[in-house]
Amino acid sequence: MQKETIISIIISITLIGGALYFVSNKSTSTGEALQFKNVEVRDGVQYVTIIAKGGYSPHTTEIKGGIPTKLIVKTDGTYDCSASLVVRSAGFQKILQPTGEEIIDLGIPKSGEKIQGVCSMGMYNFQIKVS
Amino acid sequence: MNTYTFHVSGTHCPSCKIFIEDTLNEQIGIQQSHVDLKNKTVSIKTSLNESQYKLAEILTEKIKNNGYTLSVDKKIKDKEANGVIWQALPIGLAFLALFFIVQKSGILNFGLGGTLTPITSFIIGLVASISSCLAVVGGLVLSLSATVSQDKISDIKPMILFHSGRLASFSILGGILGAIGNAIGISFTLTALLGIVASIVMIILGLNLVGVFEKNMIAIPPGVFSFFRRVEHKTIAPFLVGFGTFFLPCGFTQAMQVAALSSGSFFSGFMIMTAFALGTLPMLALLSFGSASFAQSKHAPLFFKSAGVLVIGLGVFALLAGLTGLGVIDPLFNI
Repeated sequence: MQKETIISIIISITLIGGALYFVSNKSTSTGEALQFKNVEVRDGVQYVTIIAKGGYSPHTTEIKGGIPTKLIVKTDGTYDCSASLVVRSAGFQKILQPTGEEIIDLGIPKSGEKIQGVCSMGMYNFQIKVS
Repeated sequence: MNTYTFHVSGTHCPSCKIFIEDTLNEQIGIQQSHVDLKNKTVSIKTSLNESQYKLAEILTEKIKNNGYTLSVDKKIKDKEANGVIWQALPIGLAFLALFFIVQKSGILNFGLGGTLTPITSFIIGLVASISSCLAVVGGLVLSLSATVSQDKISDIKPMILFHSGRLASFSILGGILGAIGNAIGISFTLTALLGIVASIVMIILGLNLVGVFEKNMIAIPPGVFSFFRRVEHKTIAPFLVGFGTFFLPCGFTQAMQVAALSSGSFFSGFMIMTAFALGTLPMLALLSFGSASFAQSKHAPLFFKSAGVLVIGLGVFALLAGLTGLGVIDPLFNI
């Protein structure tokens, strides 16, 4: 019995640790953001593109502050939670059309600000850091 | 008239007391029975002229189908029961890990382009039932079903009612959404709050399944549980809970609700939501009827405890996610 208990505790800790590592909100995707080139300045307006499908990508985006910024959320056959988007700092709450583009006005973000979008159930999120 | 005291095993819930007393009192020759949950004993007054051992056998026969046994000597079963949690913990956590791996793997994120037909919404339902929605809806179904089965074995009526309620609400409300169009907005805050309530219910039921209430004797008066028991076995309650699942937070459900909204007619909204609910049915039915059949097997204690661990995990996950969705806390995870 004693042995059983110890084995059980070891397995449990491994599982909990593994799960935490797995779902933890690590910002490994900063590198990803650079590859994506999802920030574009056109006619003095900064556009950030986020793809919503089974989560949001890229997870972290860095943008410049002090210029008018618009967020474009693209959906493509998205029926999961990422379609119901909440961007609290912009006062945005909407269930997006399964396929299409949603343009959200972020105003003029100040540097140091952090804009965060979550799906309504809260398991998916993305961050836009203003530098 | 003789008075005997027996040790009883299998009394995992306060309402067991009521059940055992009721059953024993029905037996001829038993005048008065009293269950002491704390000491796990049953004392009876009887006019039967049998030895105590024989009586234990006879009475066990009456209640053993429900998982209780009477014995003259205290069984060493307590030790066994303690061991069960150590088996249940890794099993429950393994299922929890499996759930997260499936979410993270991205196999659920396939695209479904084009227009929404009842067939595609059925497929979306199938996917939704193993997606992150499982954390809320599935967790709730599992915790309720396991609790009902634990309480009264082989009673599947509440589960059938629950699933009928779910189907009915999706069909009818889907139709209404289609008919009214954009008239009703689906409130994010309301669904998030409901999700939080559901996750708290899951955590409490999960703790109960694991046996925390039993062991630490966090006393919930039996009256409260017998009230719940009566509610559980009434026709209306499981049906209403099933009906309410329409409003639980689930991205897929919300997307379907929007699709039903824009479908433009009662019939098409009805079809979309019915097909979606039917798609989620196999998985949810497996959870609820699975717990009913497990409850009858000899692995019942292991099943209840594993289910409890799983439900607590899903409940905590859903609670944190719900709080994140409301903007109360920062996102802790990203699946």
